[in-house]
Amino acid sequence: MDTSNKIIEHRKNLPRTELPNKVADEGGCGVVGCASSVPIKGKHFLTALDQMKNRGNGKGGGAALLGLDPADWGTTASILKDCYIYQIAYMDTSIIEELEAEFINSSFDVAHRYEVPTIEDYTSIGLEVEPPTVIQYYVTLQSSQLKTFKEELDIEDDRKATDEFIYQNTFRLNTKYYASHGVKQAFVLSHTKNLLVFKLVGYADHVLRYYKLDEISAHVWIGHHRYPTKGTVWHPGGAHPFIGMNEALVHNGDFSNYHAVSEYLAQRNIYPQFLTDTEVAALQFDLYARVYEYPTEYLIEAIAPTTERDFAMLPPMKREVYRQIQLSHLHGSPDGPWFFIIGRSMPEQERIQLLGITDTSMLRPQVFALYETDDLSIGLIGSERQAIDATLRSLSEEDDRFAAKADTYWNARGGSHTDGGAFLFDVDLSGEPTLVTMDKFGNEITKPAVVDNMLYDDLVELLPDNLHKYLARHDTYESLMERLVNHVGNTETLPEVVGLLTAILDSWHLLSNHYNGRNRMLVENFLSRIFRSYPTINKGGFEGVYINNEHRDQLRAPEEEEQYLVMDVAEFPVEGANSAANFIVDAYHLGWKRVLSFDWRGQRFAGSGLGPSSDGFRLDVYGNPGDYLGSGLDGAIVYVHTSAQDQVGQMMKSGKLVIYGDVGQTFLYGAKGGEIYVLGNAAGRPLINAVGKPKLIINGTCLDYLAESFMAGNPLNDGGFAILNGIEFDNQGNVSELDTPYPGGNLFSLASGGAIYIYDPHTKVEDNQLHGVKLVNLMQQDVDLVETYLKENTKLFAFNHYGEKEQIMQYYVKVEPRKLKALTSH
Amino acid sequence: MISQELIELTVHKHTKNIRRGLEMLPNGLGRKSTALGDPRWTSDLILSTYYMAGTGKLPPPDLNYKTGASKGGFDRLDFKVDGVFKENVDEQYDHSIVLNGRGEREDITIGIPTYGGGMSLGSVSLNFMLARAEAAKRLNSFTCTGEGGYPDALVDYKDHVITQLATGMFGVREETIQYAPIVEFKYAQGAKPGLGGHLLADKVTADVARIRGSSPNTSLYSPFPFHSVYSVEDHKKHLDWVRTINRDALLSVKVSTPRDVEMVAIGSYYAGANIIHIDGGYGGTGAAPQIAKKNIAMPVEYAIPIVNSYLEEEGVRDEVTLIASGGIRSGYDVAKAIALGADGAVIGTAEAVAVGCSHCGNCESGRGCQVGIATSDRQLSEFIDPQWGGTRIENMYKGWKQQYNDILYNLGLDSIRELRGRKDLLVYRGGN
Repeated sequence: MDTSNKIIEHRKNLPRTELPNKVADEGGCGVVGCASSVPIKGKHFLTALDQMKNRGNGKGGGAALLGLDPADWGTTASILKDCYIYQIAYMDTSIIEELEAEFINSSFDVAHRYEVPTIEDYTSIGLEVEPPTVIQYYVTLQSSQLKTFKEELDIEDDRKATDEFIYQNTFRLNTKYYASHGVKQAFVLSHTKNLLVFKLVGYADHVLRYYKLDEISAHVWIGHHRYPTKGTVWHPGGAHPFIGMNEALVHNGDFSNYHAVSEYLAQRNIYPQFLTDTEVAALQFDLYARVYEYPTEYLIEAIAPTTERDFAMLPPMKREVYRQIQLSHLHGSPDGPWFFIIGRSMPEQERIQLLGITDTSMLRPQVFALYETDDLSIGLIGSERQAIDATLRSLSEEDDRFAAKADTYWNARGGSHTDGGAFLFDVDLSGEPTLVTMDKFGNEITKPAVVDNMLYDDLVELLPDNLHKYLARHDTYESLMERLVNHVGNTETLPEVVGLLTAILDSWHLLSNHYNGRNRMLVENFLSRIFRSYPTINKGGFEGVYINNEHRDQLRAPEEEEQYLVMDVAEFPVEGANSAANFIVDAYHLGWKRVLSFDWRGQRFAGSGLGPSSDGFRLDVYGNPGDYLGSGLDGAIVYVHTSAQDQVGQMMKSGKLVIYGDVGQTFLYGAKGGEIYVLGNAAGRPLINAVGKPKLIINGTCLDYLAESFMAGNPLNDGGFAILNGIEFDNQGNVSELDTPYPGGNLFSLASGGAIYIYDPHTKVEDNQLHGVKLVNLMQQDVDLVETYLKENTKLFAFNHYGEKEQIMQYYVKVEPRKLKALTSH
Repeated sequence: MISQELIELTVHKHTKNIRRGLEMLPNGLGRKSTALGDPRWTSDLILSTYYMAGTGKLPPPDLNYKTGASKGGFDRLDFKVDGVFKENVDEQYDHSIVLNGRGEREDITIGIPTYGGGMSLGSVSLNFMLARAEAAKRLNSFTCTGEGGYPDALVDYKDHVITQLATGMFGVREETIQYAPIVEFKYAQGAKPGLGGHLLADKVTADVARIRGSSPNTSLYSPFPFHSVYSVEDHKKHLDWVRTINRDALLSVKVSTPRDVEMVAIGSYYAGANIIHIDGGYGGTGAAPQIAKKNIAMPVEYAIPIVNSYLEEEGVRDEVTLIASGGIRSGYDVAKAIALGADGAVIGTAEAVAVGCSHCGNCESGRGCQVGIATSDRQLSEFIDPQWGGTRIENMYKGWKQQYNDILYNLGLDSIRELRGRKDLLVYRGGN
């Protein structure tokens, strides 16, 4: 019998429980995680978690940390290295002695015992339920216990035996002190090396504040707000993260096959104890990682199997192996929308990892980001881009090695045959810590090499002549911003400087070394500073007047020379009656024709609520706009000088939307019209269920399900269409073709109207990506149509992309609906 | 080419005959016909509805207007009354219910404990929608646009029209959301749970295509989920989004009745809904293929007490208005639903029967509706005159009001609201 079977067999000795009935259901959540080559303090997550509170409901919050500093915990480096940390949550402190006697001191040598300090009064930070008392035990297994257990298990390896001993010890402890239908007295939060889990009934930021983790350092952090929906009595044991053995897992989403997964685990003598979805995912991860000892790639495959076209695109050898994995594990893989962030401790290799794995139907949003300098590397994963930037901003405000923007951001395409739809940040702690970013297949992700071009040369080429006077030959971003300080508050030049900085942001893709978060941060921060130096609305008397949340009551109709409102969004509530979005609508109804809104920090619904026929109104957006930007737009114009998040342009009816960056999930869902231009990429399901005449150009590509069920009219007769260019911009600012203009397996599926024009010079688009649609050649009318829109695209994004008629005819293909019987007859 | 004159003559003749038939059938001609109805909607129930719609009064004693013959569901439930059940009482009671239990927005009180369910333009005719709106206005209640958009003709009635936001978002724009005092999120429909709508090609006329922004004679499918809502925090975001467009509207979340329906209900509550509307499996649809109709979802008489008890346990019952729908045919069904734990009910098919639906089951075909209800054909639509139809529907509800009065009188209660949750006043009539 091999090791894995021995372990599984041995678990028959554990107290058996019934197959569980869930008592609580996950709804969804907000998750954020980061891995850094230099230790970072917990407080830098507080803003990110705060800004994502609307993704939770305060019924559970948790955090995990890996890569600890022993001094924070009153211990030494060698103890941290040698010992497992048994971190136990006590809801009832009267049982501490008896628990320690039975489950700790009886089997372990305790090198260090530490009660985690907390703030004095839990209600002072808004908590309703008293959090558990947390005590840590730094332990090694007593040699007699180890010997006995190794014999029982019939396993040679000390580490393997110890891990399993601890796993079983924890199971027994939880069974005794956390029986789900009895009184909940204590449970194990975490029990491996160099990893700690904290959780309570509240939000994740409560965790950091209550246990004073704000000043604690770690290399990897994960935070989670829970949004459970069933049950009245909330226990901390139901919050995330969940552990298997050496990992902490948080989950955004909902399993539909909890029972199937539980049965699958029960066949391997594994029984969940906390009766919520996510726990079984953590138990599965442990099963594959530790018991079956799968390499990371196979572990990911077992949880998120590659299917359909992506499976067919894999090399034959991989297909063979994956097929075997799927035969064994497909029925146990979690079904339903989900996105996991996992912190993993690998102490024997002195490594820790942060992984993000996304479900293969791409139903949950996730953003990855990376920032690298000579001094450090930091990788981040989150439900929303704004949470990532909030973390980076907090770090950069305290430590100038960091920047408030990452160098690069991307979404994962779940089940992808190219990168596996999963990414991990691996931190090697042996020696000077280093961080490496990898995809599922182990391919390393790095940012592009720096090139030697001069900023001045780039800008002189891109900017209109009247702005050249602000430039100097040997400028760096720093020196340029420093010189521009003279213009802060100077009403003579303020508008021109705004124009200059906006032009830089809008041309970012064309600048050399644009994969640089520090430079981006410098420009954005300085622009905010310029905006904040505008005359306030109270003072008035200038073409633009400044207002912020603190003085929102001063909002009034524009006076004669006032053309635009400069709106500082930073302090506005995310949503609700006093939201930034509502404020913009109020300003619009008072007669403002233009609002320049800046320093968005995840607030939602920007541009929504303007109502019908809002033509003549223009909204500019700078910073980190939240979800649902530009939804329902009917006439107005919105310029977004950065990337946007999810649900952008939902139900849009008319107007213009320009995005100088990427967009997220379900872009333009149910849209009916309008003209939309996206510089970068879209995530999953852009233009899905759209009708009528939306006209879209995406210069990058998207994850999959482009324009599914499109019901537009004939594009040659004012109907809707999308143009997909499949390009990106290299680090010199030159256009570079992506590997394929469309990587997914479901291009324009089930469409009954409209068309997609794809730039496909190397005929990458294949029949097996088309469902109910067909590839046709362009006719002259198509060429004219595409040319018109590419002209505007060129104007907006300042690069020329094969816009000549002959090139369009030669390089673009058209995807149009077939006449399907199912759609037309009855 | 058929001349316009001939068409008009034919329409006129048919309209006259339909109206005459609706009068004559309950009064002898159609009695005990085996060709009319089915065990749920018996011929007695259909004829009773025709009678009430014509007169505003309860039908004569030999027509059973209270229960059907389905041997299940509401037909097995009865009110527990000592002694003889008196009918046609003179006493009047308060039939109103409040549609808002949360303090943040103004209450909306409707005069009867029901409002009309969503039927989209395309699945039904515009004239029928207008008739329903007219009745809603007169009774101080609501009708609902269904998922096919908000026809301009309904704007005059906007204080009494609920705008529905469904997964295809057909015809929905900020303007139509801003018209509405109540916005209904249709996550699912009991008649076709797990499916979106299928409006088959025949019914996608030029008018329908125009309001939905699509092409004529091409079938329209709304997807089964909202693609922007795959998790409960997405649902909350969704409601918050609509609140940005219309800050005052009450929000109703319409779901079907899966096994964990109470979970869905509590999730909607936390996401900010004012009304939770559970739609059981007996409901009708004018936009679904045959295979889906009537074969799935939990019967609503099970779902109501489950959700009611659960919301009570969670301590939030009074903050939520619980509405039930799916095959509610009479005032007695409404009262039973309330006694089981709902605040009120949503009515669909009965309103169609009031204007002449004979339950022939051809709703999804474009020209299959012989009385001009479930059609988008211009000529067939003319069989229903909105004012006439409005009166028919209003009269039917007047008949139901008499039924509520009878029930409340015999149970010794003072208002319909007092009946809520009074399962103890119901008795189950088992046997065959």
